[in-house]
Amino acid sequence: MHPILEQFLDRWVWPTMPGAPGAEFRLRLTKEKCVKGWEISLQRTLGEIDEELGREDEAWKKEKALRGYAAEGVHMSIKQMSGQLLSVDIADQERYIDLQRMRARQIWDECKHSKLHADVLLGKGWIKDERELMDIAQANTQPLPAYFGMSMMFPHIHPLARAAQNYYQEANACIGIMAYLDRVDDPLVRHEHLSQRDEELMHFMEGKFQIDFLCATPETQQPVEEALGYLLHQVGGIR
Amino acid sequence: MPALKIDHERCTQCRMCYIVCREIDINAVYVALEPLHRIEIDMDKCTYPGCTACLMYCPAEGSIVEVESGRSMVPPPPEAWQEA
Repeated sequence: MHPILEQFLDRWVWPTMPGAPGAEFRLRLTKEKCVKGWEISLQRTLGEIDEELGREDEAWKKEKALRGYAAEGVHMSIKQMSGQLLSVDIADQERYIDLQRMRARQIWDECKHSKLHADVLLGKGWIKDERELMDIAQANTQPLPAYFGMSMMFPHIHPLARAAQNYYQEANACIGIMAYLDRVDDPLVRHEHLSQRDEELMHFMEGKFQIDFLCATPETQQPVEEALGYLLHQVGGIR
Repeated sequence: MPALKIDHERCTQCRMCYIVCREIDINAVYVALEPLHRIEIDMDKCTYPGCTACLMYCPAEGSIVEVESGRSMVPPPPEAWQEA
């Protein structure tokens, strides 16, 4: 196992509240499925970083910031997160109020993240102000098929599937951030990642908490397993 | 008895500790109105070290510390969650 993943697991994944009703389920899923996916994702990210650092110019930093802005721009964040926020049926809202709160909070976080990508573009002199990004297609088009993208198009996905998304996908974000901070010296690229570090970890913790507390029965565990299967196989290409 | 407090230099005010503490009905974590509307821990209600739930979901390294020792409890050390 790569030391970055091992550190993430030891610090944030394995520590478990004694007696949490869904914790055994989460730990089983983690050992059987998530760790494999996270390891593959980390290796891909490290490969990308090596390839980026091997380039002679800084074009990759611009491409990455534009891609990040497209994924987390204010308009995208509000649209996607509010779509998910509103996808919990009224009858379920009392039961899953924490999932509603998770998305409400995350709208704000994702909007902030887009500013970090803009900081890189502004700091490097590639744009004069953020308004320019409205005219750049690359800053407004995102190919992600799942987390912010296609899954938002299924408004009646079970609320707990969102918890699985947060647990699995936000861990990938955390591990990716750890990889960039480990390898890249550029102060602006580090700023782009460092400022996101605690927030992505908080999004992961939301998923961890909700699985630990809400997924204690086969009925509540099923949507988590299904979402995880989708994320691993359909999105990650992992079998 | 050992007790916990928030390190406001580290805490990001995400409120995960508040949510978890409320979920298990201990309600020791609260939002203080003064001086800065921020998270605090009521030592009279907190049952640490009997309960360590908030430590398991806090994402901000070093933001919850032991009062007596000043030791950071985030991420949680093994003795905070592993059975002896």
